[in-house]
Amino acid sequence: MRYLIGRLLWALVILVGTTAITFAIVFLVPGDPARVVAGPRADAATIASIRRELALDLPVHVQYGHYLARLAHGDLGRSYATRQPVGEILARRLPATALLAAAGLGIAVVLGLAGGLVTAPLAGTWVDRGALVLSLAFLSAPVFWLGMLALYYVGYRWRLLPLGGAGDIRHLVLPALVLGSGTGVYYARLLHTNLVSVLDADYIRAARARGAGRGRVLAVHALRNASLPLLTVIGLDFAALLNGVVLTETVFHWPGLGRLAFDAVLSLDVPVIMGTVLLSAVLVVASNLAVDLLYRVVDPRIRLG
Amino acid sequence: MNVASVKPTAPAAPRVTRRARVLALLVLALTVGCERDRLDWPARAPGERRGGVLRLAAPEDVPTLDPALGYDTRSWFFEQHLFETLVAYDERAVLVPGLAERWEVSPDARRYRFTLRRDLVFSDGTPLTATDVVGSLERVLDPRTRSQGAEYFRGIVGAEEFVRGEASHVVGLRAPDARAVDIELAASDPLFLHKLALLFAAVVPAERARRLGDDFTTQPLGSGPFVLREWRRGERIVLARNPRYRDPERPYLDGIVQQLGVNPELSWLMFESGELDVTGIPPADFPAVMRDPEQAALTIHATALETMFVGLNCEMPPLDDPRVRQALNYAVNKADVIALLNGRGVEARGIVPPNMPGYRVELAGYPFDREKARALLAEAGFAAGFATEIWTQGTDTDLKIAQKLQQDFAKVGVQLAIKSVAWASFLDAIRQPKTVPVLDLGWSADFPDPSNFLDVLFHSGGANNHAFYADPAVDRLLEEARTVLDETARFGLDAEAERLIVAAAPLIFLYHPITYVMHDRRVHGYAIHPFLPARVTDVWLDPE
Repeated sequence: MRYLIGRLLWALVILVGTTAITFAIVFLVPGDPARVVAGPRADAATIASIRRELALDLPVHVQYGHYLARLAHGDLGRSYATRQPVGEILARRLPATALLAAAGLGIAVVLGLAGGLVTAPLAGTWVDRGALVLSLAFLSAPVFWLGMLALYYVGYRWRLLPLGGAGDIRHLVLPALVLGSGTGVYYARLLHTNLVSVLDADYIRAARARGAGRGRVLAVHALRNASLPLLTVIGLDFAALLNGVVLTETVFHWPGLGRLAFDAVLSLDVPVIMGTVLLSAVLVVASNLAVDLLYRVVDPRIRLG
Repeated sequence: MNVASVKPTAPAAPRVTRRARVLALLVLALTVGCERDRLDWPARAPGERRGGVLRLAAPEDVPTLDPALGYDTRSWFFEQHLFETLVAYDERAVLVPGLAERWEVSPDARRYRFTLRRDLVFSDGTPLTATDVVGSLERVLDPRTRSQGAEYFRGIVGAEEFVRGEASHVVGLRAPDARAVDIELAASDPLFLHKLALLFAAVVPAERARRLGDDFTTQPLGSGPFVLREWRRGERIVLARNPRYRDPERPYLDGIVQQLGVNPELSWLMFESGELDVTGIPPADFPAVMRDPEQAALTIHATALETMFVGLNCEMPPLDDPRVRQALNYAVNKADVIALLNGRGVEARGIVPPNMPGYRVELAGYPFDREKARALLAEAGFAAGFATEIWTQGTDTDLKIAQKLQQDFAKVGVQLAIKSVAWASFLDAIRQPKTVPVLDLGWSADFPDPSNFLDVLFHSGGANNHAFYADPAVDRLLEEARTVLDETARFGLDAEAERLIVAAAPLIFLYHPITYVMHDRRVHGYAIHPFLPARVTDVWLDPE
């Protein structure tokens, strides 16, 4: 319990620190938000009045103070560009991204487990080497290229699935596959390496000696220990996937957070930038915490605190 | 490692079933969660023009649907279907009655009396009155609205006091009765009717807009041919026919659906799969489309009231020497630049586009002439050339053009470095004096008058004078043109100013883009407007 409280306090410090750093960065980069809001055609008077209206004429630390005060009341401000409350914008976009990230991660885990379990006993054979080469090729392929390829063949030529967009589950298949497969291949290699090193361990031999079958040794005894590093990676990846789906979302015009953050940065929409960064930070901190707790479940020898 | 530390596992079989059950539930939840409500449209009567839904796609979301705020073609496309202005443009960019059925202008063009059409209503059925017209214009002027359009209406008597908060209403804006609107200007303005045709001046239910504030953009209410039915941010936007529209015959369409966030290549695939009715043509596919007579017949094109140019900072040496700027103009092979765009452009000879009223054909511009460029550079003392830097926003087209300029400049000895900058930083930098030597930009007309290019881009006090060009003679001509009511006389002053500007070459005048779109065989009446986004009120579809 004490551990948990400590971790939560730390999380708070991390989050406040994140807002401070982001705020500083936004104001350090060249570019004037008022000017962007005013648009390319505005005269000086319009820009000045917009700067006043958005309180951008105050010193940065005062603006930051105002931001924190509003944040404490749960108010993330309004987007400069669309004038919508940032909280609402994030709430509308998060489910789509979470769905895509979860589906992508699901595919990655299934692919990773299957790939790792199949190739580990074959370590050193030509099947294993072939798989390695294929994995490397897959890992090197850029997401937007894979995405366009999938759209072109599966969506356009073969008409099996919709050409992007969000709607029913059919819309989810391609982006989730593209998002998940690269990660899945990586997981497969990771698990493969871990399994190979674990398969020589004493307890595996002991399990075999006790008469455990080949499959059972691999899937239960070895996997359990070999999956610990994978669990860490997966936990971190979920947060990374949530934040890193920009390209996939762009290729498949999936209405999620990635595109929102991207557009906000380009248009210096400070409240939206702050909101997305804060949300990302919350997700990273939360998934880190979740992984730590899960460790304990998977391997009771790990004591927290 | 101690074998005992691995906890004995429960029998595998029941666990798998439990997991499978959880998994099945999860999949079910996802499916249900994803299932979006389908849009239902009325069935079409056979043989009728009326009915059908126009399916479109766009790479970006719509910035806003609030006419006081939108200042981009994406927003304007939807706004002009949701709202109306007192005066409007027909398909040839001529001013025609909009919400006002007639208007009288005093001889000095300072006083306007507009008479609204009878029985106007907003799409929810509430009456649209002169008070809404006054309220809408005051809303644009109100600093709290942060409208980019405010500057167009600052010439109304009392507007400055209102903006400064010294008056609760604009004295020069009155509604003597429900159908009459009086507007008084501080000085005569030959362009005022054009300003009233801008979507900034669209009439909104003033009280509701004030109440909703920033939320008016998501709950827009106007008197236009369509109403907003659904707007899923970043996903799709749907308009439906306004059953209370003042013209009972229009629009023909039941609705418009636009998928958002679709990149041009994907949009093309969707069009080819029959999922879209109208699309742009990606550069890679353009030559093939135009080679195929059947496909080419389904394209339409128009030269935009737009000029793409390269700004040369007149305050930064050696660009402060007009001979150097002229030399750079001669050095660029504009035909090659247009070839980079698959020929989708018309060579520019000056700043005013060819289909603009008041366009003069006699300007010779700067035909490609490398020898002349070298001679001018030598005359200016730069026979050995010099080095400078072009700032660009770094889109594919921008970069291609910048590289082409780099090659052409190199052949006359000028080393051009390319600096790719994000939009926000670009906007900021180009307004700072002596910061950006060369920049790549364009300007499109807000209304069809040469002053919309000349005054904005070349008056020494202009907010968009990015070349920092200043010539008192040009300023005088442009200032005089601001008040001359007679169109021929005004166009004469504009033409003289343009002649001086082109001679001084503060820009490299590149090209006027030609817009191409392709539509499905079923689509009729789709047209590209000279300077506004397409209006689809007259579009009709063949029944399936």
